Amino acid sequence: MIMTKNTCLLLIMITLFGCRKEDDYECNPTPFNPTPYTIATPPGFPDMIIPEDNPMTVEGIMLGEKLFNDNILSGDETVSCASCHIKTAGFSDTNQFSIGINGLAGDRNASTIINAGWNNQFNWDGSARNLEEQAFEPIRNPIEMNNTWENVEMKLNTHAEYPTLFKNAFNIDYIDSIHIVKAIAQFERTLISVNSRYDQYLRGEIQLTPSELNGFAIFNSEKGDCFHCHGTQMFTDNLFHNNGLDTEPFNDWGLGNITNNPLDNAKFKSPTLRNIEFSKPYMHDGRFNSLEEVVEHYNSGGNFSSTVDPLMKKLGVGLQLTNEEKQDLIAFLKTLSDPDFLDK
Amino acid sequence: MKRKYLIILLVIILISCKKEKGCTDPTAINYNSQAEENNGSCKYNLEINFTHTVNNSPLELNQMIYTNAAGEDYSVQTLKYLISNITLKGPSINDSIIYNVHFVNIIDSSTFIINIPNLPNKTYTGISFTMGLDSLNNQTELFINESFFPSFAWPDFLGGGYHYMQLEGDFITPFQGYATHTGPTNGNNYSFLVETNFEENILENNRIIINMEINNWYAPNIINFTINGIMDDELTQNQLRNNGNNVFSISLE
Ligand code: HEC
Ligand code: HEC
Repeated sequence: MIMTKNTCLLLIMITLFGCRKEDDYECNPTPFNPTPYTIATPPGFPDMIIPEDNPMTVEGIMLGEKLFNDNILSGDETVSCASCHIKTAGFSDTNQFSIGINGLAGDRNASTIINAGWNNQFNWDGSARNLEEQAFEPIRNPIEMNNTWENVEMKLNTHAEYPTLFKNAFNIDYIDSIHIVKAIAQFERTLISVNSRYDQYLRGEIQLTPSELNGFAIFNSEKGDCFHCHGTQMFTDNLFHNNGLDTEPFNDWGLGNITNNPLDNAKFKSPTLRNIEFSKPYMHDGRFNSLEEVVEHYNSGGNFSSTVDPLMKKLGVGLQLTNEEKQDLIAFLKTLSDPDFLDK
Repeated sequence: MKRKYLIILLVIILISCKKEKGCTDPTAINYNSQAEENNGSCKYNLEINFTHTVNNSPLELNQMIYTNAAGEDYSVQTLKYLISNITLKGPSINDSIIYNVHFVNIIDSSTFIINIPNLPNKTYTGISFTMGLDSLNNQTELFINESFFPSFAWPDFLGGGYHYMQLEGDFITPFQGYATHTGPTNGNNYSFLVETNFEENILENNRIIINMEINNWYAPNIINFTINGIMDDELTQNQLRNNGNNVFSISLE
């Protein structure tokens, strides 16, 4: 009796091991076989920053998109990521301060999410180091989605579709916060905009108007000197600057809040200028309603303060652009609109 | 059968009895304390340090305590630059580049040190490098995955490629910025070679120190901070390149 039982156990173990070694198919009813998704690096861009523990898959991206648009992530199921990050507005918000749950508003303008996969610092003050880390925050934020992770996990695990979708994307049986933010981050990395009229011009497909070309020259020369902070095909230097919006005392310390270094006070991330025509209002606090106002700010030279960037070289003097030059600069900024990306 | 084993044993003993050869220099990285005979295999690490001074004192950031040759007071907030084609020279070696491109950022002290591992035992009596990028290296695509992209990119409109240096701060008043940006204005090459030769073998020292004396960028050709926005200014770029000849000093320690 004992012998047979042992032999039997042994046999079972051997089969189990053998099975696991050879093939997943026989032991696992649903094989884990997600479809890898490769991002082609656009000309003028470096390789995208993709964390090793979150490789891109078609299943992960589709799941991320569903989560991004789903109110289920918010406390009372009225708000999704897409409520404040609206596709037609370059995944930003047309309100100065986004209205979150219970109609509450914060004090920062919703960032765009455009080519974010090439950045390594997120939010206006750089408080998050990658998109996964960033996505943890809005769900818990009392004035954004005002939820708890336990609640989100509970709802998703008892949902009709999500358990299968997570199984297919990550091969997990219990949905946890880590995999929720991973899926969202995968989706965000696919929000790539590189087919504006400006890109078509660079590829030699179209010609820009003389006004747009003159704006391009102002942008990329010492005359306008926009390129130092909004340079390259990414239209950002991925760094933080005080671009002379305010005098002291500052309302919002920006990067200084994160680094605790007073020399960083009022420094904010240079946003990409792609699709800028549609992502108004502008600046971290949405203070400007039009590109005319933005250009007027730079043309005036900006405000003196102890942390203002040395690259704001014409403080007190201004760029002294003529009305026509200002219009040309704005015309150039509008060549950065990408109708495919914005669904226009 | 037995004899065969005996022979094998003998051979093993013979091999182990032979004088152990290896690197006998205790300062080498592959020093072998068992070795009795030097077989010329010694390899050495070389450390290069970057230091920065104003009037021979270590640079202090964000202090309005410096004065350029034009008499303008200034502070330094930002200092980033590229050094390329670092080359060792010596009587018995063909000049070969030991380090391609290095980015120094004053707010990141890890960029002040380069380690060159595994140098063969030779007599090195000279070192040279290029300040900035020569025409061959100065192509945007070459360094697109380096940490200094995108902020060091030089617009195609102004010649394309990369800045060589971004030296920035305030002048006269604490709020007025200057930006000494050098680079390939209009596609010209304003990079320059810095070279120093020594009497002794560099390997007999712990490190090479490359010092930038910041104030020397602004003389003998007087550079005035009130002329701001010099990236399209060939005359000023040329003056800065010539001043650059007195900016770097290389010493051994
Ligand atoms: C109530 C409005 C609101 C909701 C809902 C919201 N966000 Fe945001 N989002 C913002 C605001 C405002 C900022 C800027 C925050 C800051 O800088 O302090 C921001 C910033 C971001 C950024 C940073 C972009 C960058 O380049 O720095 C990302 C990414 C982002 N949100 C993703 C999400 C995701 C994912 C969700 C859903 C889980 C979400 N947001 C939900 C308002 C919102
Ligand atoms: C010193 C760096 C710097 C320079 C030079 C600079 N910018 Fe900016 N720009 C920034 C920063 C930083 C922000 C975000 C500031 C904030 O919100 O507090 C910004 C914001 C903007 C915005 C609003 C973006 C948004 O999504 O809200 C526009 C538009 C803009 N800049 C255009 C320009 C133009 C045009 C020029 C040249 C005339 C220029 N910038 C020069 C750093 C700079």
